[in-house]
Amino acid sequence: MSFAWRTAGMNYLQYSSIAARALRRTVKAELQTEIAKREGMSLKYAKWESGKAGVLVRIAA
Amino acid sequence: MSFITRAIKPATRLAARRFYASEAASSGKLIVNFALPHESVLKNHEVSQVDLSAVSGDLGILADHVPTIEQLKPGVIDLISESGSQKYFVSGGFAIMNPNSVLNINAIEAFKLEDIDVQAVAANLAESQRLASSAKDEITKEAAAIEIELYEALQAAVSGKAK
Repeated sequence: MSFAWRTAGMNYLQYSSIAARALRRTVKAELQTEIAKREGMSLKYAKWESGKAGVLVRIAA
Repeated sequence: MSFITRAIKPATRLAARRFYASEAASSGKLIVNFALPHESVLKNHEVSQVDLSAVSGDLGILADHVPTIEQLKPGVIDLISESGSQKYFVSGGFAIMNPNSVLNINAIEAFKLEDIDVQAVAANLAESQRLASSAKDEITKEAAAIEIELYEALQAAVSGKAK
């Protein structure tokens, strides 16, 4: 079985997250605040040295 | 006489062991577990039938269905029980039918049909179609095509055209 998105170089995770994002956009306004909480993803890290946190680095999603 | 019965005995024993799937010992109930990454929608939920659309085609699953793993298309999952039917629209995922009448459905995102804004579907579909025709690179074009497929299925589902 071949999928057009696969031939274009996408993998299943990319495919399914695009589809999930598309579906979230169509949900009624009153539920959107709940959905927005889980849509974004963020990452931050800091290197700890001798019991002290180093510079906090934020990575954009 | 006794040698005849001795001769046919093994044959009858074998025949007695053969049966149709419908005659096999079964509770006749289909148990559904329906999970999303952020929520367990249904757990040990008893239904009589589940209709879903898989990449390999649309399926109606009853108890004692043959074990199978199906990739789900963006589409409706219809859980039918005596008290009525519950319809969810899933963005995609997998349905795993186990040998013991337990059906596990995993999806990235799922909403009840009544939570879908019909106008938003039409607006998003138009936007994705515009994006697909104006896209320069293949990835953007393909992303728009994925959205179009989902929105068309969703539009059919909310307008009641889908089964």
